[in-house]
Amino acid sequence: MAKSGTIKPDDFSEEISAQRLKSSLWYTIITVLILSCFLVPLQDGNLSFMFSLMMWVTLATGINFIAGFTGYMPFGYVAFYGIGTYVTAILVKVLGVSEYLAVPAAGLSGILLALLFAPTLRLNGIFFAIVSLSLAVVCQRLMSLLPEEITGGSHGLNLGVATDRTHGYYAMLIIMFVALVSASWLGQSRLGKALKAIRDDPDAADAMGIHVSRVRLYAWIMSAFFAALAGGAQAWFTGALDPITAFDVLITAKTVIYAMAGGLGTIIGPVVGTVTLVWIDEIVWQQFPVLNNFLLGLIITLLILFMPRGVVGSLMQHFPHLRKYIM
Amino acid sequence: MNTILLLNGLVGGVIFGAIYALIGCSLNVLCGVLRVVNFAHGEFIIAGSFLSYVLLTLFGLHPILSLPIVTIAFFLIGFGLYYLLIPRLAKSDEPETSSFLLMFGVSLMMIAAMMWIFEADIRAVEFSFDPINVSLLVIQDAYGEGRDGRVIVPTARLVALGINALLIIVLTYFLYRTLTGKAIRAAIMNREAIQIVGINIHSLSASAFGLAAALAGITGVVLAFVVPSIDPNGGQDISLIGFIIIVLGGLGHPVGALIAGILFGLVEQIATVFLPQAAAQMLGFIILITVIFVRPQGLMGRMTLR
Repeated sequence: MAKSGTIKPDDFSEEISAQRLKSSLWYTIITVLILSCFLVPLQDGNLSFMFSLMMWVTLATGINFIAGFTGYMPFGYVAFYGIGTYVTAILVKVLGVSEYLAVPAAGLSGILLALLFAPTLRLNGIFFAIVSLSLAVVCQRLMSLLPEEITGGSHGLNLGVATDRTHGYYAMLIIMFVALVSASWLGQSRLGKALKAIRDDPDAADAMGIHVSRVRLYAWIMSAFFAALAGGAQAWFTGALDPITAFDVLITAKTVIYAMAGGLGTIIGPVVGTVTLVWIDEIVWQQFPVLNNFLLGLIITLLILFMPRGVVGSLMQHFPHLRKYIM
Repeated sequence: MNTILLLNGLVGGVIFGAIYALIGCSLNVLCGVLRVVNFAHGEFIIAGSFLSYVLLTLFGLHPILSLPIVTIAFFLIGFGLYYLLIPRLAKSDEPETSSFLLMFGVSLMMIAAMMWIFEADIRAVEFSFDPINVSLLVIQDAYGEGRDGRVIVPTARLVALGINALLIIVLTYFLYRTLTGKAIRAAIMNREAIQIVGINIHSLSASAFGLAAALAGITGVVLAFVVPSIDPNGGQDISLIGFIIIVLGGLGHPVGALIAGILFGLVEQIATVFLPQAAAQMLGFIILITVIFVRPQGLMGRMTLR
């Protein structure tokens, strides 16, 4: 009876080599991604495209912390991004702070906002989705209501030539790097395992001694932090913002679609999904600008109906032995 | 002077409230029977406005006469959409959140399609009633000697209110006095038990989807009476108001939504009298968030269904 249960030394070595392969596959992907992004400005490549690629990778990885690892779907994820852009712009334009300080401050503001919104984690399912969406709209309206000297009202702010695009680009690169490293840390850490346990069965996780609400809060804060940083870098890079685009629901939509296409709940999924879809988006967008959003809607509909776990998730579902190699 | 503003706010509140009531009611029929929160509801409504606009500009059909066409067309669309989307969705891990995301995709497609057909311009609906305005109440010398204060309402808005009131009566009768209506209410209360009594849940659900879509289409036509301009991008704001209403009335309770809609219309319109517009709009969301935290079952709770 115990025969099948005993662990042979071979199993261990196999386990370890699979673990190594898993990490090396993942680290190869991020190294290639980061190197190629790093080289673009030096070769006068398409800076805007690569910037948006990095931004979406960061956002998709960020939303994965909360949507993939805890199962909450924040429809107002854009609130954190928007607050990041605004905090950066206000600090630079109104208070004359350097961008190098303004963007980290934007990240902090994201954390504060996440703490402020933390009570929403008590809600479940559809209530959480509706409240999250409404909070994003409230943030948007608030920004256009605040005095024009601060937020620029409904016209937004223009940083003009005060910012350097290339510096903003590299700031985004660093933020993406930190996000990816955090994701790989989370994939292997106790926190990540606790989160997955909670997602699969909160009651069982609670019984195992996991502090459910605290662990969820950590994921929520990480998620918000990277969205706010990405927003900050975006303000630095483009130098202009207004309440409509900074809190556009489409930003949440794209983030969710990219992360979901790859596979929420895996570390590698959102990165693969984003890189693939942003390229497709770029190609399609140039061909049919009008159909762009239609295709986006079609992709999200088809994904939900036929591949809710995304490409990586479906692969893992159909070929369970691949689980060993996928972060 | 303040009384006149307040009275205008009240009248506007009833007119908008009746529309909100319809929006919330149709959303809640879907939400109750199918457990689907329709993110694309606003787009259905805008599409209804556009259909009546097309019928008006191409065939000169008066919007009131286009109501039956819109109703039938939207019922069939909703009926079809059910079989296209929902049975597959029921198999997913988390049907509720997935449905929200799914209808979000549908809404993106509908916005893009409408932008493609009608372009991004806001269309004005050009028809009017005679007389254009009706003066409901005259308060003499409200602004001083010889300057009367008037509570004036566009005739089109009164017609809209009339249609809405009629619809609400018909709808309540349908839900409480007809067999299908009772089946829909039963399905909201207990989806499993109703199948034991021998009701085909699929055809009932498809009818509910059709009913919700038809109501959305009608709301669109009526909305064009009240706000005579159609914006292909305006759907999201309507959906958000719809969410506020259904949460206030209790998720999945059509009659609760009717009451909540009128209440919210009154609050919103009176708030616009005293607050700046953006602040008045924010008020709705603040009410929404408070209600979700304090009374997630809605203002009326389950009793409205009985």
